[in-house]
Amino acid sequence: MPEPTFLDSTELVLNMGPQHPSTHGVLRVILKLDGEKVIGTECVIGYLHRGVEKIAENRTYTMFAPYVDRMDYIAAISNGLGYCLAVEKLLKVEAPPRAQVVRVILTELNRIASHLFWLGTHALDIGAITPLFYTLREREEILKIFEDYCGARLTTHAFRIGGLQYEVHDGLERQVKDFCDYIVPKIDEYEELLTNNRIWVERLKGVGILTADECKQFGVTGPVLRAAGVQWDLRKAQPYSGYEKYDFDVPIAHGADTYDRYVVRMLEMRQCVRILRQAVEGIPEGPILAKVGKVIKPAAGEAYVSIEAPKGELGYFIVSDGSTQPYRLRVRPPSLINLQALDRMVRGGLVADVVAIIGTLDIVLGEVDR
Amino acid sequence: MAATPWEGELVNDVKRQFGAQILEASSYLDQNFFVVAPEAVISLLEFLRLEADFDYLVDLTAAHYPDRENQFDLFYILYSFARNERIRVKTSIAETATPSTAVGVHLTADWLEREVFDMFGIRFDGHPNMTRLLLPEDWQGYPLRKQKTLIDMDNRWVQENLGIESGQ
Amino acid sequence: MKKFLRTIFLVDLLQGLWVTFRNQHPKHIYTEQYPAERPKVAERYRGAPRLNINPDNGETLCIACNLCALACPENLIVVTSERNEQTRRKELTEFTYDTSRCMFCGLCEDACPVDALELTQDFELATYTRDGLIWDRQLLEEGPKPTPYRF
Ligand code: SF4
Ligand code: SF4
Repeated sequence: MPEPTFLDSTELVLNMGPQHPSTHGVLRVILKLDGEKVIGTECVIGYLHRGVEKIAENRTYTMFAPYVDRMDYIAAISNGLGYCLAVEKLLKVEAPPRAQVVRVILTELNRIASHLFWLGTHALDIGAITPLFYTLREREEILKIFEDYCGARLTTHAFRIGGLQYEVHDGLERQVKDFCDYIVPKIDEYEELLTNNRIWVERLKGVGILTADECKQFGVTGPVLRAAGVQWDLRKAQPYSGYEKYDFDVPIAHGADTYDRYVVRMLEMRQCVRILRQAVEGIPEGPILAKVGKVIKPAAGEAYVSIEAPKGELGYFIVSDGSTQPYRLRVRPPSLINLQALDRMVRGGLVADVVAIIGTLDIVLGEVDR
Repeated sequence: MAATPWEGELVNDVKRQFGAQILEASSYLDQNFFVVAPEAVISLLEFLRLEADFDYLVDLTAAHYPDRENQFDLFYILYSFARNERIRVKTSIAETATPSTAVGVHLTADWLEREVFDMFGIRFDGHPNMTRLLLPEDWQGYPLRKQKTLIDMDNRWVQENLGIESGQ
Repeated sequence: MKKFLRTIFLVDLLQGLWVTFRNQHPKHIYTEQYPAERPKVAERYRGAPRLNINPDNGETLCIACNLCALACPENLIVVTSERNEQTRRKELTEFTYDTSRCMFCGLCEDACPVDALELTQDFELATYTRDGLIWDRQLLEEGPKPTPYRF
C-alpha cells in the first residue's frame, strides 16, 4: 500500500469535549470519522474523579452517607437510598414501615426530577430550547418539597441508616398530592410539544439502536434496556423498600432507538405519579428509625444491594471487616456502564447523532467518574 | 463471616463440571456465592452464561488484603434475567498474578477490568486495552490498595500538573 | 390525505408553538427577583452555621463536648476548651468552622447534645477571600452580615 498522502487520508479524528456543552459535564469523546460517518470512538473519562470509594474506606458508615449524594447529583435521593439499604442489609435491620413509605415518596419524586432534567437537556441538545425552561420549572416544585422535608435541595442527605433522620413535615401529603395533580397536565404539555413534532421524530427515530441482546452484553440497564423490549425493573424483579405493595406498570417499547427511550421515560414519569398517589394515601404511623445504635458496626461479611435508580441499576457492594468503617465499598454506577455502550451505538451513524445518543443514555458525569 | 452452605441444582451442576476447582459454595445474608480457584473463573463464567442463563455481568471488582498471601480478592457479580437470580463468583489471586480477562465472555468487563487495573494494579491477561480508565496515564501507584494513605497519594502528579499541595 | 394536509399545514409544529404561546401568560412568570426580594427558604434549610447563645444570660450554650467535631465527615470543626477551676467544668474558648469545606450535611447539628450548633436559614456565605470562609466563634455567634443592596 502506498504512503497515504494528505489527499487520500479518509479518516478524520475529531475531539469532542471535555468542555462541550452537550456532553453533560466533562466527558471527552474522540471520534474517528469518515466524512460524516462515525467509524470509531474512544471515551476519555475521569475528569471528575474524586475517589469516592477511597473516601468510603476512611469514613465511618454514618459519615459516608452525604458523599453518595455527590455521585449522581441529579438523583441524590436514589443514591442515598441504595447506600442505606446496603448497610441495613449488612446490619440485618429493616427500616420501619413509615420510613419505607416516605423513602418511596421521595425516591419517586426524585425519579421524576431526574427524568425532567434529562428531558430538558436532551431536548436542548437536539435543538428544542423551550422544554428546558418548562421542565426545570416543574423540577423546582419537587426541589421545594425536598427543601421543606430535609433542608437541602440537591445534595439532600435525606435518609439515615435504619430509616429517616427527619420526621415528615406538616403538609407533605398535601404538597405531593398537589404536585401529582400539577405534573400530569405538564407531561401532556411536553408530549404536545415533542411527541409528534416532526423535527423531534426525524432526529430520534432509528438513531442509536441498541438491541436487547446488546444491552445484556454491555450490562446496560434502566430505560435503555426497557426501550429494547425487556420488561425488567428492579422495583418489580427484586422489590425493596416495600415496592411490592404498589400497583404500577413497567413501561416498555420495542424500537430500541432514541425515540423509544424518550417514550419509555415519559411513560415512566406517569407511573411514578401513580406510585406517589398510592404512597401518600397511606403513610403509616410509627417510628421512623430502626434500632441501629449510635455506632454502626456491621458484622464482617459482604453484601451487594442494588436499586433501580432513574438511570439504571445502582448497586453498592460493601465488604465489612467488623469495624466502624467499610473495608471496601464499591459502587456499581449505571452511568459508567451504560456509557460503555456508546461506542456500539454511534458506530456507523452520523456525527450529528452523537449528541443525541449521549443525551439519550442519560449519563451524569459525577457518577461516571465518582 | 458466618456463611451457610448453599445447595441446589445449580451448585450440583457446577460442582459436577468443575469438581475441586470450586472451593466453596455458600450464602450469606441470602446472597449466594462461589469461591473458586483463579484458573477456573473464566470457564465458570462461560458455563454459567451458556448453561445457566447468567447473561448479565453486573459488576466486577476487587479488594486488597495486604497481610494475606493471596493479596487480592476478585468479585464477579452475575445476574440472570431468566431466573431473576443474582450470584457472586469470588477468587483470590496473588499480587503478581495476571488473571485472564472476562471480555470474551461479557463485554461489560472491558471498562470494569480497566478500572480494577487503575485502582488496584491487577493486569488482566488478554485484555484488548489495558490502560487506566479514570486516573491520568502518568499517575503513580494504585489508590485503592490498602497501604497508601489518603495524604501521600501521588503528590508528585498533583504538584507537577496542578501546582498545588495535595491533601488537606 | 389527512396526513398530507397535516404535513402541509405544519400542524405538529403549530401545536408546539401554541404551547409556547400559552406559557406567555403573565401568570406563568416564575422568576425570583433576588437580591431585590430575598427568597423565603424552608424552615429546615441547612445554611450558615450558628452557635446559639442563651438569650437569658448571653452565654454560649455550647458545652465544649467536641461531639460535632467528631461527627463531621470533613473534620472541619475545631473546638478548644479550658477547664474552669471554680466550677470544674470545661468552658469553650475558641470554635472554628471552615465553611469552605463544609457540605452542609447536617451531621454536626444532629450530634450536638444541647442544640448549640445549628444550621440556619442564612444562605449568603460568599466572601472575597478564602480566609473569610473560616468562621471563628464571634462570627458563628453573630451570624454573617452580607452587604445589603439598594435598588
Ligand atoms: S454540615 Fe456536615 S460537613 Fe459541615 S460541619 Fe457539619 S458535619 Fe461537617
Ligand atoms: S456538639 Fe454542640 S455542645 Fe458539643 S462542642 Fe459541638 S457545638 Fe458545642
